[in-house]
Amino acid sequence: MDAPDADSGHEVAGGKAPLLRIRGLGVRFQDFDAIRPLDLDVLNGEFLTILGPSGSGKTTLLRTIAGFQPPTAGGIEFDGRDIADLPINRRPFNTVFQDYALFPHMTVRQNVAFGLRVRGIDRAAREARVGDALAIVELEDLGDRYPAQLSGGQQQRTALARAMICEPRLILLDEPLAALDATLRRQMQRFLKSVQRQSGITFVFVTHDQSEAITVSDRICVMRSGGIEQIGTPRDLYYRPRSRFVAAFFGASNILEPCRVESAAGTATTVATPMGTMLVQGPAPRVREGLALAVRPEALGPLAADHSNRIECEVVSVSFVGSETITELRHPQAGQVLTMKARSDPSARLPAIGSRLEVGFDAAACALVTGAET
Amino acid sequence: MIRKEGLSGYAPGALALWAICILFILVPLASFLAYGFLPVVDNSIVYEPTLDNFIGLLSNPSYRTTFLRTMLLAFEVSAFNFVLGYATAYFIWRRPPAWRNVLVIALAIPLLMSYIIKIYAMRGVLGTNGLLNGLLLALGITDEPVSALLFNLTAVRITLAVVLLPFMVLPICVALERISPAVLQAAADLGATEVQTFRWVILPLSLPGAIVGAMFTFVLASGDFLAPELVGGIEGFTYGRLVFSQFGLAFNWPLGAALSVLLMVVALVAISVARRLSNPRWQP
Repeated sequence: MDAPDADSGHEVAGGKAPLLRIRGLGVRFQDFDAIRPLDLDVLNGEFLTILGPSGSGKTTLLRTIAGFQPPTAGGIEFDGRDIADLPINRRPFNTVFQDYALFPHMTVRQNVAFGLRVRGIDRAAREARVGDALAIVELEDLGDRYPAQLSGGQQQRTALARAMICEPRLILLDEPLAALDATLRRQMQRFLKSVQRQSGITFVFVTHDQSEAITVSDRICVMRSGGIEQIGTPRDLYYRPRSRFVAAFFGASNILEPCRVESAAGTATTVATPMGTMLVQGPAPRVREGLALAVRPEALGPLAADHSNRIECEVVSVSFVGSETITELRHPQAGQVLTMKARSDPSARLPAIGSRLEVGFDAAACALVTGAET
Repeated sequence: MIRKEGLSGYAPGALALWAICILFILVPLASFLAYGFLPVVDNSIVYEPTLDNFIGLLSNPSYRTTFLRTMLLAFEVSAFNFVLGYATAYFIWRRPPAWRNVLVIALAIPLLMSYIIKIYAMRGVLGTNGLLNGLLLALGITDEPVSALLFNLTAVRITLAVVLLPFMVLPICVALERISPAVLQAAADLGATEVQTFRWVILPLSLPGAIVGAMFTFVLASGDFLAPELVGGIEGFTYGRLVFSQFGLAFNWPLGAALSVLLMVVALVAISVARRLSNPRWQP
């Protein structure tokens, strides 16, 4: 986390050469930057998700990698080879499109075989490989159907098999689950993840759904208005967001502000907040203005021995919502309300409203964030 | 909606629509068909139905030759326009969207013009002092104007091809327009060259439109009498002119009606063949 160019993802690369190396890549439409020049490394065999709200440039970035959108600046290397000028049909990887883009006049089998057919592979070899691919996506019985006769999930799996048939080392997926209903979506998330793991193919997956990103990804690259906001593992981004934008994107946080850095000891930083002095794991951020401390509601708990930070509060309300109990607390001096979320414990007594409660959280479960509220 | 048995299930509006269809389409057609069964004796119609007219037209060798020549002509025009129309539609489709609209409108404008005016325009183009001769002279291909361009079967072929071209191009344009750009990107993404994408994706997806266009062209060309009448001369005597002559010259309406019934059968066959071919299994 302490590398100066941490946003390009170098810190996770750890010496391993990236499969896809993007340097200074920018896309400019007339007077607006769809992608501000950015660096990104995609590691061999990983499931990398590009996550962002609509208009953040995530789809443009994917389309630029695929070759549908020419970049206006920078370069893309695949396996050490510059591919920025390579036409779409010569790029050594394949795409799963948002609306699947299946060939409506071809059966599932013919759709999947398309990549082999353009390469002039003979029918017998084609049939065998298509059979294998259909087995992977569990569509053996539907090979002779046309796309119009398939459900959304089946079309999705056809599109995946079609993209995998030429055994690319990288597959780009553009919001492939956006059109599916919630149940099918979750099922397909697990399915995509398992296919990716078993095949070892690198996946670059675009989505606007943060829970989807957390479920499937090895790493997530959060984008905002054409730039990369933060790259990291799902846990990193969830517990250690670097901006309020990222913190808010992954769910509610308690925000303690203003924050002032008192001292930094390399691995830990001491900050002064309206609720007292707190210890945060990690070095102090370069930006010292507009800092806030973000703590997830479930990171807060009744004070325990391993908590490095404590806050004394007054209980405002307690709501039992089944598996969880949500307690709202007010800090008497700061006047701010904190939300604490904990697993419901049938044997524990709920605190009385108005009573004092000492809560705490770990230095590793909070993060100093920058930027305005979103 | 629950569909009740009998007429009580229909709203008054639907009944009115049915009445209009029956009154203005089916009744005239049926009366036409009925005329075909009536013999003519001494230039007047006798109201005793026989099959004489139909037997006559099927056994008359000159009718048969005219019919076959016309079918061949219509087929030639459709086949030629199939290729020319596809190329035109493809060209239009590959232009930027703003250009595309202008070209489609330019192509549709002649459809709003009077048919006779278009044929006279073609006469002007093909005539001895016409545009085509002027061009041939200017290019030095001929030394004197060619009169063979007009008043023969080739003139009919050219005129019909030009006049009917929009009927071929427009359905192909619609079919091409309906191809999702993502599908073409998918083809490129999977490694297809432009030629492969055309052969395996664009052509099969737009073929139904081309078949509909060919059907239009065939049906319109096979029944046409104005173009052969005005540019065909003696050589360009077609089935349409034969029908016309029974009504306008010979005043033998029953025979004319019987001749048109055959033309209607041809049209219905062409339409049903096109319907089968242009509705492939993959269409939802």
